[in-house]
Amino acid sequence: MKEVVHQYGVELDWVADLAAQLDGYVEGNCIRIPDEVRPGNRYILPINEDLTAFIIDVTYRRDVIFKLRNTRTDFVGLYFNLTEGESIHIMDKVSRTAGRWGYNLAIFDAEMNGDFQVKSGCTSYMIAIFIKKTALKQYISNIPQHQQIVESIFNPKLNTIVRFDRMSNQAWWLMNELQKASPEGPLYDVFVTGTVYGLIGDYMDQLINQEIIIGQVIAEDLVNIVNSQAFLIENIENSFPGIADLAARAMMSETKYKKLFKKITGVSPNSFFLSNKLSFAKEMLETGQYTISEISDQYNFFSPSHLIEQFKTAYGVPPKEYLTRL
Amino acid sequence: MTTERIAFFYHYTLGPEWQQQIVEKLGARLIDNKILIMPEGIASGGSIFLEVLPGLSVLLLDMTFHVPVAITRIPIDHNYYMVYFDIGDEITTHIVEGSIHKAGYHSKLGMSFMDANSKGILMPPIGERSYSLRLFIEKSYLKELGASTRDLSVNNQLFDESKNTLFFYSHIDSRSKVLLNSLKEQPFTNPSFELKLKSTALYLLGYLVERVSRFEPIINKLSQPDIDNVLKTSQYLLDHLLEEFPGLQKMAELAGMSVSKYKTLFKKILKESPNNFFLNEKLLLAQKLLQSGNFNSVQEIAYELGYSSPNYFAKVYKKMFGLLPAEVLVKQS
Repeated sequence: MKEVVHQYGVELDWVADLAAQLDGYVEGNCIRIPDEVRPGNRYILPINEDLTAFIIDVTYRRDVIFKLRNTRTDFVGLYFNLTEGESIHIMDKVSRTAGRWGYNLAIFDAEMNGDFQVKSGCTSYMIAIFIKKTALKQYISNIPQHQQIVESIFNPKLNTIVRFDRMSNQAWWLMNELQKASPEGPLYDVFVTGTVYGLIGDYMDQLINQEIIIGQVIAEDLVNIVNSQAFLIENIENSFPGIADLAARAMMSETKYKKLFKKITGVSPNSFFLSNKLSFAKEMLETGQYTISEISDQYNFFSPSHLIEQFKTAYGVPPKEYLTRL
Repeated sequence: MTTERIAFFYHYTLGPEWQQQIVEKLGARLIDNKILIMPEGIASGGSIFLEVLPGLSVLLLDMTFHVPVAITRIPIDHNYYMVYFDIGDEITTHIVEGSIHKAGYHSKLGMSFMDANSKGILMPPIGERSYSLRLFIEKSYLKELGASTRDLSVNNQLFDESKNTLFFYSHIDSRSKVLLNSLKEQPFTNPSFELKLKSTALYLLGYLVERVSRFEPIINKLSQPDIDNVLKTSQYLLDHLLEEFPGLQKMAELAGMSVSKYKTLFKKILKESPNNFFLNEKLLLAQKLLQSGNFNSVQEIAYELGYSSPNYFAKVYKKMFGLLPAEVLVKQS
């Protein structure tokens, strides 16, 4: 297994060293690695003096362990991680599954050491956002229920900022939208910056709404709900499996299942399923190669007019009009 | 009863300085140099202005005016472009009193792109919510972004102000509309609102550059009267969607130019030929009428829109929307 000991920061002095350790080189905003399986993308964008983004969209061809050993302590990293395949976070000898259905959002104080292990064949898509603690403090103090505790959150004697979380569905779609942009030229910087602001904004909403939840949910239930989300996405082309079926799979009563699903994801199972169905339908529509009827069949809507109605409600525009004015 | 319109002159700047004019002339309250609250006597609501990055600023405006005003943007030579998005309904239909069959409608285009040195007058309706977003983009920055999407010599010509004026007027494209609709659901007071506004502004800019790169480049210098005259004719078409296309000759006369000049300028500004523009707008109105629930048959709507043959109407409608009008019709309940 290859071992990479590296560091991050808002300032860019870590980039050349990371490139060298990956047997690559720096070209403009990119780290290029000559013999990768698919031409990947490692893109570093300083957004302002408080904020830098690092986008990684690659396939690993060998096992790698990344050991994050920062020398700066003035920032916090937000890691939005959509790795598909086997990957784990290790911190204090406790491992957590990372990637789309695991803890796909990690928030790490620069003072913490953490290891991130990926297996060969893993496809990793991650956006890491490095924020100066002073700027993060500013954001957090805008949240009313955090104003009282903001001083203690940022007092290193009292608290270390570390959190494993799951990103919202909205964040997932934001990252998906960015992947459609070509990673070249100044236009890419516009989309990256837009995505980064969107992700931070979205996570603030999540903090406001979900603050109390995590502590009251036991780990086993959490895993079951996360698996249930994955199950719904795998079956996105079918009709809604029904609460009874979903609850049975999650080994909970229907009441408990509905309550927990809502607590953890912020939406009901039905609405989670429908909003994802519509997002997939929208993507299929955007290709311009399918009729409304075909899309409606593919994703099992009751009828084309049902799809039209739901699409209009969700996006404010009927699908055909959406397509003609794209 | 005569109420005097309050005449008000102002200009924007890429930085937050312009807001002082609103404070001094209209008595608005400025908070944190970014939020303007209008005095209740003139309008309720306000605006939020953010500098997103060097070369890009955004203004979101949500106001309901209580008195008649005429707001004039003065053409001062500024080094930026302005993109305007109106986030209201583009076509509104309502039943005219006393007649079930006559649907009143008002049609407009929700997006415009202009040089900050062109003049604009806004007379917002009283008692109606105006919700709009403006991007201010530094000229050199947009030129740099444009250069990454098309041939360099074409880009240089497009941005050469001695030869060309960048200006267009259009519908809001779908991806932008979805973003704007979702922003509209967020209250200004959300702690995450500023981040989302910045994120939206950047994506709108990205979509704009991508969209504009697909337009056929028409290099032409526009004078203010040219712009006014062409927009006068496009508004004429929008106001007469229930009639037949008046013909190029008549449209060119209305604009006070030759037919060939008129065709070129119309296409440059509206991105379509006058005839296509008219037909597309007619069909978009048809779509609204079909879904309005005010009609009992496709035939009624075809006649309402001035088609003498309902079959022909069905054919052109299907060509544009992929479905037959009968499949979309919501019958009167």
